[in-house]
Amino acid sequence: MSFVTSQTSEASTNPETVVPPGERKGWSKFGLSPGWAISVVVGVVVVVLATLFDFWATTFVVGATENAPLVLAAFGFALLYRLTGLLNVAYAETITLGAYFAVWMNNSWGLGFYVVLLPAGLLAGVLSVVTYLVIFRFAKGRRVGNLEMIVISFGLSIFLQHALQFVFGYRRRAFDIPPPNTIEVFGVGVSSFRLLALASVAALTTIVYQFIQRTSFGLQIRALASNEGLAQASGVRPLRVTILIWFVAGLCGGLAGVFYGAGASVESFLGIDELLLILLVVLVGGIWGLLGVVVVGMATGVALTGITLEYGNSLYAELVLVVAFLGVLKFRGRRLTDGSKV
Amino acid sequence: MNLDWLDAFLIFGAFKVVEIMGLGLLVHLQLGLTRVANFGVVGFWGVGLYAFGVAHLKIDWPFGDPYQFLVCAAIATIVAAAAGLVVGWLISDLDDDGTLVGTLGFATIVVILATTQQGLTGGALGLGGLGFPYDFSRVKTHEFTWLLITAAVVALIFAYAWRVHRTPHGRLLIAVGANEALARSLGKSATAARLRMMMVTSGAMGLLGAMHGVMVRSLEINSLDVSVTLAALAALILGGTARVFGAVVGVLLTVALFDIVIQFYLPIPDGWNTQALPVAREAVFGAAIVLMLIFRPQGLLGQMRRPALMRRLHGDW
Repeated sequence: MSFVTSQTSEASTNPETVVPPGERKGWSKFGLSPGWAISVVVGVVVVVLATLFDFWATTFVVGATENAPLVLAAFGFALLYRLTGLLNVAYAETITLGAYFAVWMNNSWGLGFYVVLLPAGLLAGVLSVVTYLVIFRFAKGRRVGNLEMIVISFGLSIFLQHALQFVFGYRRRAFDIPPPNTIEVFGVGVSSFRLLALASVAALTTIVYQFIQRTSFGLQIRALASNEGLAQASGVRPLRVTILIWFVAGLCGGLAGVFYGAGASVESFLGIDELLLILLVVLVGGIWGLLGVVVVGMATGVALTGITLEYGNSLYAELVLVVAFLGVLKFRGRRLTDGSKV
Repeated sequence: MNLDWLDAFLIFGAFKVVEIMGLGLLVHLQLGLTRVANFGVVGFWGVGLYAFGVAHLKIDWPFGDPYQFLVCAAIATIVAAAAGLVVGWLISDLDDDGTLVGTLGFATIVVILATTQQGLTGGALGLGGLGFPYDFSRVKTHEFTWLLITAAVVALIFAYAWRVHRTPHGRLLIAVGANEALARSLGKSATAARLRMMMVTSGAMGLLGAMHGVMVRSLEINSLDVSVTLAALAALILGGTARVFGAVVGVLLTVALFDIVIQFYLPIPDGWNTQALPVAREAVFGAAIVLMLIFRPQGLLGQMRRPALMRRLHGDW
């Protein structure tokens, strides 16, 4: 499933790529792109394996639910990366801030996890917009190059990681919440927080995807991402649209941070510790569009769990995945990063 | 040698300044000349540190120091250079985004291997037993001598960086960094130039890692921290990425300011040294990167002075 902007731009520039419905072959005859079809097949295989084998059931259920925040964070990052072209290292701190806001509201005012979830995500979204307006937009206005933008985001990430310790304290903080309910899925116990994280991934990806596909605002986003000059000439207001992108990306990152924090504890390096996998998922999954990011993110989560269960050390799982992703990175070459952007 | 006047902490502070200066000079060759943004400096430095430590402690050498040190340091340099070659090959056809992920991924792999291979590296507990390759009876004399030796190595790195600006290889690196497509179209091998540069600079980073191991006399997983990359990058950007003296000036204004001037000569409250000051140091370094790249991307020393240099080397055109 390729992301709609690339479809639109291809179709508009190359008439040969537009295939009439009657002449479509294979999966396309059924109105399905290969990406959707592969996702459906993989889904069926997963359900069959999970039903038949305990190990696979545990791997799939725990992998999908425990690592749902990874998918959510990667989705937000991909949105930003694909639509603005900026590889924003400081996105890690959007994740951290979401977790900090939630734990602060929880610890200070005694609000429950479900109550603080959305406000924390919204606040992270607002701060994401603030970083755009104060740092990145300003830098862009001064014609700072792409490489320098990446280094700026690295510097901002480091600054926020440490400055946050002066605001929220040096020590780790934990949510003061009762143990979550456990729900059985394929015979595997899963906490309600984790299931909610998974549901959030499904809901947010569907909403954002449909928003970009079906609404006039989404059309503006795609237009802006494809050709900023042309979009502006056509009446698109870039600031409003870009702010929206940064806000939605920040919201996704903030929510992911809350789920990460609820699963363990909250500290200033929470986001940066997850960043490499998020980057790799976005770069590799991004080749197949936003849906590709979700599928690769899920697969990464399942693989992390499977390898950890098999070898008893999550670091080995991370090692294997980083090496595998870097292999893909080399194999795909420059096409990979180009394909991950619009 | 009577070194009673010298504080032991001051020696270590000066060692850090010299060490980061060396790393900054090497990052200058990567980022300033070739425009390769290496976010995994700590990975190459760490490979050298751990290769040296493991070779020194786990292999039963038939000879003692200083030969043992020289052989182990050579191993560290070669292993780090090989790692630089592999990473250079990995990122050779990637853009800036891919380079970030590739170098960051490499640093992560190094940290994971150092943590998980407990039999070799000691894992999270670390490994003690490294020592100086000479015996002067007093620890302070050992450390001061090691500071001087490290300063000599960094001076050699400076001389190499200085020389590179004036060689055909350096000019090719500058051309590749400025416009790779043009350099390729003129028949220059951009990939070979980059690989050579990555191999040499990574090897030198590994050597500095080995020298750090001698100074701290142990392998500690906590030392493989992003602060190593940050310090080198922040100093270079502050001084000027394109100038050889950029790293020198930058390190004096960042690492020397924090790790020597503020830490030893300013009346800061008790307890700040343990948490507040290191955290503030990193926050200031991060902020310095952001502010410099927005308001003065060429750094304090400004742009590379190619026309002036070329006129001096080759006369008026």
